[in-house]
Amino acid sequence: MNPVNYLYLAALLFTIGATGVLVRRNAIVLFMCVELMLNASNLALVTFSRLHGNLDGQIIAFFTMVVAAAEVVVGLAIIVSVFRTRHSASVDDTNLMKL
Amino acid sequence: MSSFPLLTVAAALPAVGAVLTAALPAATSAKRRDINKTLPLGISVLTLVLAAVVAIRFKPGGARYQMTEHHSWISDFGIGYSLGVDGIAVVLILLTAVLVPVVMLASWHDADPVANDAGTFERNRRTQGFFALILAVEAMVVLSFEATDVFLFYVFFEAMLIPMYFLIGGFGDRTVGEDARQRSYAAVKFLLYNLLGGLIMLAAVIGLYVITAKQGIGTDGHGTFDLSTITQALASGKLHFSPVAEKALFLGFMFAFAVKAPLWPLHTWLPNAMGEATPGVAVLITAVVDKVGTYAMLRFCLQLFPDASKTFGPAILVLSLIGIIYGALLAVGQKDIKRLIAYASISHFGFIIMGIFAMTSQGQAGATLYMVNHGISTAALLLVAGFLMSRRGSRLIADYGGVQKVAPVLAGTFMIGGLATLSLPGLAPFVSEFLVLVGTFTRYPAIGIVATIGIVLAALYVLVLYQRTMTGPVKPEVSGFRDLHARELVVVTPLIALLLFLGVYPKPVSDIVNPAVRDTMSDVHRTDPAPAHPITAAQVAATNSQGGGQ
Amino acid sequence: MSVPDTVHSLWTVAASSTTQTIPTPHIEYGQLSPMLAVFGAAALGILAEAFLPRRNRYWAQIGIAMAGLVGAFVAVVVLAAQGYAGTKAHLAAMGAVAVDGPSLFLQGTIVLIAVVSVLGFAERHLEPRSSTGAPVDAFAPQAATVPGSDAEKSAARSGFATTEVFPLTMFAVGGMLLFPAASDLLTMFVALEVFSLPLYLLCALARRRRLLSQEAAVKYFLLGAFSSAFFLFGLALIYGYAGTVSIGGIADVVSGTATPTPALANTTANDALLLIGLAMLGVGLLFKVGAVPFHAWTPDVYQGAPTPVTGFMASATKVAAFGATLRLLYAAFPGVTWDWRPVLWGVAILTMVVGAIIAVTQTDVKRLLAYSSIAHAGFILTGVIAMNKAGVSAVLFYLGAYSFVTLGAFAVVTLVRDAGGEATHLSRWAGLGRRSPLVAATFALFLLAFAGIPLTSGFAGKFAVFQAAASSGATPLVIVGVLSSAVAAFFYIRVIVLMFFSDPRPDGPTVAVPSAFTATAIALGVLVTLGLGILPQYFLHLADQASVFVR
Repeated sequence: MNPVNYLYLAALLFTIGATGVLVRRNAIVLFMCVELMLNASNLALVTFSRLHGNLDGQIIAFFTMVVAAAEVVVGLAIIVSVFRTRHSASVDDTNLMKL
Repeated sequence: MSSFPLLTVAAALPAVGAVLTAALPAATSAKRRDINKTLPLGISVLTLVLAAVVAIRFKPGGARYQMTEHHSWISDFGIGYSLGVDGIAVVLILLTAVLVPVVMLASWHDADPVANDAGTFERNRRTQGFFALILAVEAMVVLSFEATDVFLFYVFFEAMLIPMYFLIGGFGDRTVGEDARQRSYAAVKFLLYNLLGGLIMLAAVIGLYVITAKQGIGTDGHGTFDLSTITQALASGKLHFSPVAEKALFLGFMFAFAVKAPLWPLHTWLPNAMGEATPGVAVLITAVVDKVGTYAMLRFCLQLFPDASKTFGPAILVLSLIGIIYGALLAVGQKDIKRLIAYASISHFGFIIMGIFAMTSQGQAGATLYMVNHGISTAALLLVAGFLMSRRGSRLIADYGGVQKVAPVLAGTFMIGGLATLSLPGLAPFVSEFLVLVGTFTRYPAIGIVATIGIVLAALYVLVLYQRTMTGPVKPEVSGFRDLHARELVVVTPLIALLLFLGVYPKPVSDIVNPAVRDTMSDVHRTDPAPAHPITAAQVAATNSQGGGQ
Repeated sequence: MSVPDTVHSLWTVAASSTTQTIPTPHIEYGQLSPMLAVFGAAALGILAEAFLPRRNRYWAQIGIAMAGLVGAFVAVVVLAAQGYAGTKAHLAAMGAVAVDGPSLFLQGTIVLIAVVSVLGFAERHLEPRSSTGAPVDAFAPQAATVPGSDAEKSAARSGFATTEVFPLTMFAVGGMLLFPAASDLLTMFVALEVFSLPLYLLCALARRRRLLSQEAAVKYFLLGAFSSAFFLFGLALIYGYAGTVSIGGIADVVSGTATPTPALANTTANDALLLIGLAMLGVGLLFKVGAVPFHAWTPDVYQGAPTPVTGFMASATKVAAFGATLRLLYAAFPGVTWDWRPVLWGVAILTMVVGAIIAVTQTDVKRLLAYSSIAHAGFILTGVIAMNKAGVSAVLFYLGAYSFVTLGAFAVVTLVRDAGGEATHLSRWAGLGRRSPLVAATFALFLLAFAGIPLTSGFAGKFAVFQAAASSGATPLVIVGVLSSAVAAFFYIRVIVLMFFSDPRPDGPTVAVPSAFTATAIALGVLVTLGLGILPQYFLHLADQASVFVR
């Protein structure tokens, strides 16, 4: 199969993730959409690695996974602490500060 | 020329004095307060002495800039700490140094704390802060007059806004009823107008630097801000502005100076600021700080952008003419003494700017003399008006009447100040106004003729003001007025003496000014049009001294 | 885009050569010592947190953090003195880290900012002591407790303190040191995350108004993660275009000087990869600097975060992010200047105008400073756009000048307090000049520096960037910059009016007397503001010498 198709898939996944961040309201879902975007990037990296015939892209994908894992730790910690305070994970409820 | 940095010391003395004054321990009693006020007064007198030394050591007809100092400051931007004075700067520094101690003495009690209900005073540094700010303004004004580096000038031109802003906004004219909101509105308006002007000038300053850098005028690839380097490069053709760039830069500089000066239609901050400030601060605004604007037109606009000055000259003349008539007309209609004087000043600034952009040597010599004379005459009128208002606690003309019967000396000095403002022959402003009009007339007869309406209107507003406040039946509130006491007399006497002296014998000032004016004229490549009856400043002075006191 | 067979054969060849050994990476520890010192201190801090008894942790953490930062600063100075900022500039750690002028200059700046920030974090005199008499800092006693719960109260009673803030800060500082020095996009991405993640946490740790603080953290985290995802996808696309992520390699491919391979010939034919990739990298970076239209998080996060953290974030993040932006645009993508410059023009103009105009309507000091930081990001962008050597040195100088003004301003904000903690509503500041002239005068000085009044560092910086922009022909930008400075000046002046010319309220806030820590921080801010304003020559020269990138 032509590897370019994987790029289309990656772009599609990234777009779905980005759209999700913009339209969804639950912090956890938002966060999952961000993860989707990171994984879309991974797919693109691996595909480009194949296209260029060097290993850089695959190595970067490993780094991305580690970074994403760290991000999950920090992100869930923050979201959970907010959830415990407000009993809600909706980002619409976090609106104490407005212009 | 010795290497003693006289100019730096003359500016540093009030600056150091300002810091010292602010650092004095807060006064606990009226006596301690007087001590705290004596220090700044003493320093301003010392500054006057230094300014006099500068004037004496200045050799008219010698080098164009004298007592020069050059130090590298920010060499990456070609900025130097370059000082030097020509004749125009010398007389303006002298004017500043004369007016500051006078203003301090006149405002001796303006910033005193108000007793609270218990009859005690809040112990703070407000009073000495007032005097420290005046000294800070003096230091910055003197440095702006001395700077021969465009950037150095710009720095102090902008920085002086801050102490002025606090003087206007922080110390209202409580003798005439304070309104804090009005006052801070006036202060903010003053600051924003001038800051906007200054920032637009900043864009032009940057443009000037970039052009000098691109054409390799400065050292090792950097541009330069040094005035003489730039003017020499301009004269020798090494530096060339494209016409568009020159016009844009000229307008950028001119905008800032026109706000400061102020030129119609950028004048609207002046009546507010002068109306709300104490009389002393109002004198600082109109007689000292605003002079930096007109001075800078002469020094920077004409020297740096001679061609653009010629292009825009007629337009600026028209604006100044509108300013003359408009200011005078509004002065006639004012009910408030201080605003009346403010509008009269707008009219006078019209004359000064007209003299500068008429591009004749009489016009420019007249404009320079006018700066000095307007400073003295407005100071006299405003300070005496301040004394008057402090007795009644009102600034409305209608609240006064018949003062000359109860306080003849006050009325007399007010009269002299007023007559000087309307340029009566024999008093100093006459010479300068005459020169400006002659200078304008030789090149632009129509504008010269129309401008004379300003003189007629000046007679109207001054005499009406005098008549309504000083003559007529004595109003009951006025009957208890004290005449001028010793401190007030000390304030007024030197001003009136100067008005009379320079009125009959302006030669010392015009001798210092004329060579500098000739240099400026040659910078803009303009020669006087050959009039049917050539007339020079010296001749006017001679005629005036013969016919003085008519 | 179809893949020719040659690529497959390339791939097959590469995969079959399994006999190749991977060379041991060569690491120049000496040249990386600034970052190693800071990361070392951070790791030590974690150990201290785990093993030291609670009562010893505060001083131990301050000691470790300060030692690490001072060590890092000494290392930066030594490296610069050895000529790594000039002639000896090169790539260390197998081409991952650039040791050159801009890196060292920015690392020095960041370390100094961190020193001042740690002083602010260590402040324990402002909050009233806990019921047991333990001194209390600006951070939540125990971040895991629910605000208002019994657990929180008992933690506060026992005088707990979140001393984790020090190691967290050190990790953030380490990431910030790496970010502007990163010489390949992967290192840049990792550094971005290393400094962002601790900052998200620090935002959530305020002692007072914890709901606001947590809300700020959620917003910052979600938007930050969103923008890093963009950065990463941009990285992937650029990798796809150039076949490499190293700055030098990308520059070669973009300018067409790289050795052509069939794969490259194929991917470089597609400019969309390059342009979209660059745009996405730009989104990630512009988010971090807070440029419009990626600024929405700034006011909320600045307002909600603990004020010392806000000061740290506002200054250090901006320095690091602009450093990376400069490296990316000047070292990796100079070949497509004509493509990104018009876009950045628009961003800079929008940032200056929006930042200045919205700031006028603000009523909270911290939000006001946030919008002012947005406007300043716009001013710095004009220097970035200049695309000449003067632009680099101007941006470096501006960053140094701006960050100390910001630190000082936020440190003053921590002092003005009432019963509910910091009194950040502007109306509460009325008449402060009458009540505490010194504090008000200090804040006024910082505001004047923000406004760019001559003889303050703000003016020197503004002059430098505008001059650089003007000399590259961006005159309209300079004019917009000057006009928005005038608008910005209006709201700074408004605060000064409020402090000095309004009558103090009877129930107005008090000014807490800080310990030597905050006092030092503010004094340093004043000193740098005046020093860089009156005698900027030395630092301008330093920035000028440090303005050549290595790639």
